[in-house]
Amino acid sequence: MKEKWNKFTSAVRDSSWKVRLSAIIMGGGQFLYGSYVKGILYFLLEAGIVCYMVLRGFEDIKGFFTLGTQKGDAWLGTVGDNSVIMLLMGIFAWIVIAAFLYLYQLNIKDAYHAQKIAEAGKRPLSFKEELAQLLDKKFYITVLTLPVLGVCVFNILPIVFMILIAFTNYGGDIVPPELVDWVGTANFEKLITLSQFAPTFFKILGWNLLWAVVSTVLNYFLGLGLALLLDKDCVKGKAIWRAFPILAYAIPGFITLLAFKFMFSYGGPINQIITSAGHSAVGFLDLDAKWIARGIGVLVNCWISVPSIMLLATGHLSNRDMSLYEASRIDGAGRWKQFQKLTMPFMLFATTPVLLSQFIGNFNNFGIFYFLRGGLYVDGYFLASDTDLLINWLYNLSIDNNYYCIGAAISLVIFMITSLISLIIYVKSPSYREEDTFQ
Amino acid sequence: MRRKINAGKILDTAVTYVILLAVAFVFFFPCLWLILASFSKSGSIYSFDGFFPAQYSTASFVKLFTDTTMYNYPKWFMNTLLIAAGSCLLGTFLTILTAYTMSRFQFKMRKPMMKTTMVLGMFPSFMGMTVVYLLMTQFGLINHLGGLILIYASGAPMGYLTQKGFFDTIPKSIDEAAKIDGATNFQIFTKINLPLSKPIIVYTALTSFTWPWSDFILPKLLLKEKNLYTVAVGLMSLDETEFARFAAGSVFIAVPIVILYFCLVKNMVNGISEGAVKG
Amino acid sequence: MKKKSIALLTAAGMLAGIFTGCSREAENVQPAPDAQVKEETGVVNTVFSGELEHDVTIQVLENDTAVSKGYFEQLIKAFNEEYAEYGIVAVDANMNQYLDLANDGPYGYGPDVLYQANDIIMQYAEGKHIYPLPVESMECFEQIPETAWAAYRINIGETAYTCGVPVNVQAPMLYYRKDLLPKDWEQAWDENGNQIPDMVENWNAMYAYSLSRHEEDSSKYGYMKSLFDVYFSSGFLFTYGGYVFGNNNTDPSDIGFSAGEAEKGAWVLSQLAGAMNEECIDDSITTNAYSKLADGTYFATITTPDMYSTFLDEMILAYEEEGLSEAEAGAKAQENLVMTTLPKLPESGDLTQDGGNFLDAKSMGGINGYAISAYTKYPNACLAFVEFATSYEMMVNRSELLGVAPARNDAAETAGGTSQLLYDNLEAGNIVLMPSIKEVSQIWTPGETFFTDLAKDAFRPEGEKKYTDLDAMKKGLEAVDQQIYDAIFTLK
Repeated sequence: MKEKWNKFTSAVRDSSWKVRLSAIIMGGGQFLYGSYVKGILYFLLEAGIVCYMVLRGFEDIKGFFTLGTQKGDAWLGTVGDNSVIMLLMGIFAWIVIAAFLYLYQLNIKDAYHAQKIAEAGKRPLSFKEELAQLLDKKFYITVLTLPVLGVCVFNILPIVFMILIAFTNYGGDIVPPELVDWVGTANFEKLITLSQFAPTFFKILGWNLLWAVVSTVLNYFLGLGLALLLDKDCVKGKAIWRAFPILAYAIPGFITLLAFKFMFSYGGPINQIITSAGHSAVGFLDLDAKWIARGIGVLVNCWISVPSIMLLATGHLSNRDMSLYEASRIDGAGRWKQFQKLTMPFMLFATTPVLLSQFIGNFNNFGIFYFLRGGLYVDGYFLASDTDLLINWLYNLSIDNNYYCIGAAISLVIFMITSLISLIIYVKSPSYREEDTFQ
Repeated sequence: MRRKINAGKILDTAVTYVILLAVAFVFFFPCLWLILASFSKSGSIYSFDGFFPAQYSTASFVKLFTDTTMYNYPKWFMNTLLIAAGSCLLGTFLTILTAYTMSRFQFKMRKPMMKTTMVLGMFPSFMGMTVVYLLMTQFGLINHLGGLILIYASGAPMGYLTQKGFFDTIPKSIDEAAKIDGATNFQIFTKINLPLSKPIIVYTALTSFTWPWSDFILPKLLLKEKNLYTVAVGLMSLDETEFARFAAGSVFIAVPIVILYFCLVKNMVNGISEGAVKG
Repeated sequence: MKKKSIALLTAAGMLAGIFTGCSREAENVQPAPDAQVKEETGVVNTVFSGELEHDVTIQVLENDTAVSKGYFEQLIKAFNEEYAEYGIVAVDANMNQYLDLANDGPYGYGPDVLYQANDIIMQYAEGKHIYPLPVESMECFEQIPETAWAAYRINIGETAYTCGVPVNVQAPMLYYRKDLLPKDWEQAWDENGNQIPDMVENWNAMYAYSLSRHEEDSSKYGYMKSLFDVYFSSGFLFTYGGYVFGNNNTDPSDIGFSAGEAEKGAWVLSQLAGAMNEECIDDSITTNAYSKLADGTYFATITTPDMYSTFLDEMILAYEEEGLSEAEAGAKAQENLVMTTLPKLPESGDLTQDGGNFLDAKSMGGINGYAISAYTKYPNACLAFVEFATSYEMMVNRSELLGVAPARNDAAETAGGTSQLLYDNLEAGNIVLMPSIKEVSQIWTPGETFFTDLAKDAFRPEGEKKYTDLDAMKKGLEAVDQQIYDAIFTLK
């Protein structure tokens, strides 16, 4: 830390007036050292940010703290503040400022760098050359700019927004045109003090974990098994055999779920067969059918997810180094041995991220029990049923009620637990730590 | 001795086919049920004999495509096709590039970025929906199909870990050989790695094409006009008595996806096992 | 370093462009139909000045049935002709019939005029998303009963505002097949000799007939209904003193599913379940009633009046299958499919008793109506449309084409039949209107769970039954009240 500071202060002392100009007029130093286009671009950036701040940036930052002062009333024709939009725009303004500060320090570093080059008597890189570098050495910057921007706007911004919402009173009666306010940690205090929450939370968490583990393991191994089976030399017409799972994959999940719900309902074909055989109808998904319903959920989820895992595994399997198999066969290894020693480590390595994202997807699988067995509150659960996952419970508690702030607070808690678990698993996994095992 | 091996092989083949038949049945039966239901004459699911309709006709398909005053299925279909094709192209492009970069380049922000994306995926997605809606109102992209493409395509790179896993298994020795020959990173990517990664591209393309067909939360949120609906939203808005039409509409969704699959299937299996560099 | 900065630079430039672009738009979106601020009581007059806006297009949201049966086209055509001189054109908003104005309106994506149920419209009124209307000066004011207007009234401060115009009454109706009555019903099933079969007059006879019909042929049933549906099942509780919310459905802290002798209603339901099969536990009957009534498996069911045409279509199909021509099948179906008000309930709650007193059945209902979005730019044109759409002729047309019961007295009289019956029921207070407060969204799941459990109980083996006596049912209903209370207040 201290070293860095020393380096910084010496650089400050060392810097020429041209670099110092860059600190006030961005791009000034670059311009004077001969990088004209870059200098102008930096200057335009500064001009842009000043315009933005004057036009709306300051207002947005102010709005971020006040969340609106004038309540709108359509009946009186009063145009009021929309707190939620103000919060959103406030976050935007912070992001812009942060991005600007980052670019600002780049600008100074860059000007200092230009000074060093000039002192060494070299010619600065032309703009064209710098652009060319973006296709080669700095290829990753070119490539990642767009995805990062997209992810920031459509993934990170919503998450930041929801996290901030957990500290406001947004929801219930307080939605625009009403004004929203910051309430500190009041929502979290409410969650902790509610005695009904804890037992249901742990019951559901237990089932949720069980569900996620069982579904993930089952889906993964069935998908992998299917891919291996179709990879065998003796199977002819592989494209056709693969088409059956693909067909299942091509039908949207919610339609599949509705179809299965109907099949297992009292009036559905399965019960029709049972009753026409003289037995009484079975309530596969009804109130008392805790474990049957859970089992059906797992199987239906398999039906939906296995095809895509099969597809993925097929792609990965074709990437194996077949010479290793050849060698092991000569060494007398059986097929099971090969699977154990060669296929599994390879697949596990290549698909740990998939396993994790499957786990996450299953953990947060809202649709499956919402469609199969929605609309029930079971005894012993606080506003939930025994097949509900945490995300369904969250939906019952908050979204159904429009209690966004509480919903955000609960999801923040769930989010912290689950992300911690998966982060630990991921960081310990070989595909994170030893990325080049198979390279 | 030799005969014994043969017998074992035949048994193995037989067992394989029995399992394959079972798998095919498990996956095909519900689809078959849905397909036949869409050809049911009565249009109601409750006049079936057990699993299948008593009488068949193509009336519901004719109705699906001709009776468009209330439920304009052809229009919905084209909308979805447009969105799916757009987000498939854009999304696949971005995802593959992201995954490749994260697999091949070493830079300061790499590991933090990997961890961040991992964690971001855990956030319950529907909580963010309100924000996406607000954002789109601010961008003026409500009732625009392009808005959906934008969201699907920008969300796609979040799932890059799957594709990164694939690139991690392509030997780096190929890249290094090319580098010695003077290829730029851009060339290495387009000329060497891209052809090797057809299977994963196919996988990515299929998944990002299929997603808009089955998603109804986002389109429902962002498309208010019935003419702009996607198939999934449209089908959800069908009256409960329109079962055969629902089934016909659902079955027809699968058609473009299956066609796409058959177009791409030959690219699914190749890669380095037959490639230039080995070991 | 330098190259990274260039990339980020362009990115930031793009971002800045987005900002400045949307800043202007955000202001545009804010509606300001009438900028002058007036005193609260003057709201209605300020907005609805009576001066029609010229050459404007208003977007009208109707329900799907009205669109698919062609009524809506007829309505806007007539309106557009009438107002052609002002250049006012009404068009189909072409949006989801259940859209949420509170969500879309503020950003400029909602319709100008909308037709929805009273509970939904009043939730908008609480958030001031719709305008209060000058209803006293409207032509339909005298013709619509006070109970219907009351469903659209909201108190803000000292003043009461009316925020919608009632159009038609929705309440559960009994559908049955005349040709499936026993041949000798006039002798055996008409005790009071009023030429109305007993089974559609009281539930005791319906229960008895259901049992006998099933006994004769085990594949056939009498009255069938999925019991989980709160909308239909709660009426049984209301008849014996139950209610949803206290203080005329306005006080969400007082939940009354178990109030009075509501458990008797639960008992009636559980007896009825005994005469059905397991399909009454889930939504099977709700979806299969159309075809099973048509093929003669079921004798009767209950649902809302707007489903009449669906039942009719199914019956015509069934008759055509039997070999009748299209015209014959149509006539026969119309003759045999009967829609009427609900049978009476025994005061004791015992469906097997003979004689005794009978109570008028109450039911949960709703009033659908028109409202004007507060985000419209042309309130006066919208008001003209609402006025036109609720005129006598249009209401009569609506009821003829859609089979719905008008809320206008004169139109109900002209329509006669069930419309008149429903109107009378509304006036007599037998239709308990769906609460107009937003807490109502919390009653469904607890209610559904209880009714499912009750229906399931009829098929549990002896000894495992939960609801064996009235006390157990009362406890079950109290648990429902508690759950609803929790759902509303835990997070408040």
